[in-house]
Amino acid sequence: MRATRAAVGALGVLAGAYGAWLLLSRLDPTQLTSAALWLAGGVVLHDFVLTPLVLVGVLVVGRVLPRHAHAPAVVGLVVLGAVTLLAIPVLGRFGARPDNPTLLDRSYGAGWLVLAGLTVVAVVVASLVVRSRHRVPAPTTEGSPRGPRPGGG
Amino acid sequence: MKLPAPPSDEQFTSRLRSAAVAARIGLWLGICFAIAFVTGLISHYAQNHSQPIPFPTSPSWGYRVTQGLHVTAGTAAVPLLLVKLWTVYPRLFIRPPRGARKLAVEGLERASIGVLVAGAVFQLVTGLMNSSQWYPWGFSFRATHYAVGWVTIGAMVVHIAVKLPIIRHALTGDVEDTSQDRPTATRHGVLTRRGLLRTTWGAAGLAVLATAGSTVPFLRDVSIFGVRSGDGPAGVPINRSASAAGVTASAVSSSFMLTLVHGDTTTGLTRQDLLDLPQRTESLPIACVEGWSASATWTGVRMRDLLDLVAAPPGRDVVVTSLQQRGAFGVTVLQANFADDDRTLLALGLNGETLALDHGFPCRVIAPDRPGVLQTKWVTRLEVQA
Repeated sequence: MRATRAAVGALGVLAGAYGAWLLLSRLDPTQLTSAALWLAGGVVLHDFVLTPLVLVGVLVVGRVLPRHAHAPAVVGLVVLGAVTLLAIPVLGRFGARPDNPTLLDRSYGAGWLVLAGLTVVAVVVASLVVRSRHRVPAPTTEGSPRGPRPGGG
Repeated sequence: MKLPAPPSDEQFTSRLRSAAVAARIGLWLGICFAIAFVTGLISHYAQNHSQPIPFPTSPSWGYRVTQGLHVTAGTAAVPLLLVKLWTVYPRLFIRPPRGARKLAVEGLERASIGVLVAGAVFQLVTGLMNSSQWYPWGFSFRATHYAVGWVTIGAMVVHIAVKLPIIRHALTGDVEDTSQDRPTATRHGVLTRRGLLRTTWGAAGLAVLATAGSTVPFLRDVSIFGVRSGDGPAGVPINRSASAAGVTASAVSSSFMLTLVHGDTTTGLTRQDLLDLPQRTESLPIACVEGWSASATWTGVRMRDLLDLVAAPPGRDVVVTSLQQRGAFGVTVLQANFADDDRTLLALGLNGETLALDHGFPCRVIAPDRPGVLQTKWVTRLEVQA
């Protein structure tokens, strides 16, 4: 086990070192500076902007929404948030060019509204389902007298 | 004024932030990155001028599949990476250990994680932006994405080697297992661990459905975030237009002539001369490095027939020169195995129509199993190499 791990680790170091050599030998200083900025920028934006925003968002959901809506709302936020984030390049149509109408040629804003609408509907329906389940007295169900907690958490 | 103290890892109490969750998401994240790495190597090799091992010409849809997989795996990795990083976020705030040796080991491990996270975020962000042709940076995309791909996969392999005992324990145990959790990670969240995992798989699946229509025809109508609808002249999208390449005047000029060169033999052909040669029709996909693809029916002169006009023996590379004034790939190498393949055409028509200017009028290369950037448009010269 120990030897295997050491061998795998060494292989990783080799591959990484090859990549670093590629970077240093194929990019001029201007390109390297730009790449370094983007490499560091991604980590900083994720760790110190995006994640704190998500943590605050989850707190807000906990405070503002009724309890039976917590789990559906968190699921909805994770799904919609992740997909929205990866759709930023097409939603902004930043790469669109007037000479090429075949690129970025969908109604991305409308698509996003449909997706967001469907997500909201799904969250509301799931919340109502959770609430109605909890109203039914369930003598055979284990847990507190009020029934299982939302999302089974 | 006193600055607020940074959080400590003990303050993160959700029991969802567990090795049992991180390892399960990490497994799929690792699979996605491995697929993206291998297909990335294939794509990089396919674009090399020099190919000591000839890139195969069959199946004709091979590159379409590998490059579609490359972009799809990267897209699916976005939700996986986000949730994975959320589960391990408290580790960012763990206090450094005492003792020089322990500090050095921990410092090294943290550095490798830093490289992994920076590389992973960089690859997904630049890859997604490239597929929408958005380049707000000052580096060459292809060289940098390739190099950082090696860095990232290396850091990932190191990470797996370091964490292997934890990963094994987590993956062979139950998802509810708490034996590897931080002591304070005991609070029940609004989701169960299984609930969080299912949500993550759902987000990854939706990400794929919402984008893959650019390369998977039957998903076209559901892919609301696809970079292309699939429409275009003769039903095929365009990667770079004639005006972007600076060929609008030269390509339609009546003095256009295709020059064939083999040693001292030189032949000039007008477009009418090309149309008078035997015409072939082939169904071949056009598959772009940015991840979109489309199948189409191409009509034109077989490349081998043209090479025979200048008595070129088989097994020779052909240098293809385009009229294009701007951008990369104005001069490309059509390797011997592609030049000699019967399906490789100098196309004059597409899907029953005359080749549109943006598709490469007056004539363009179309070969099986090749990256779109090498399917040179607005061809003006074919030179057989010695």
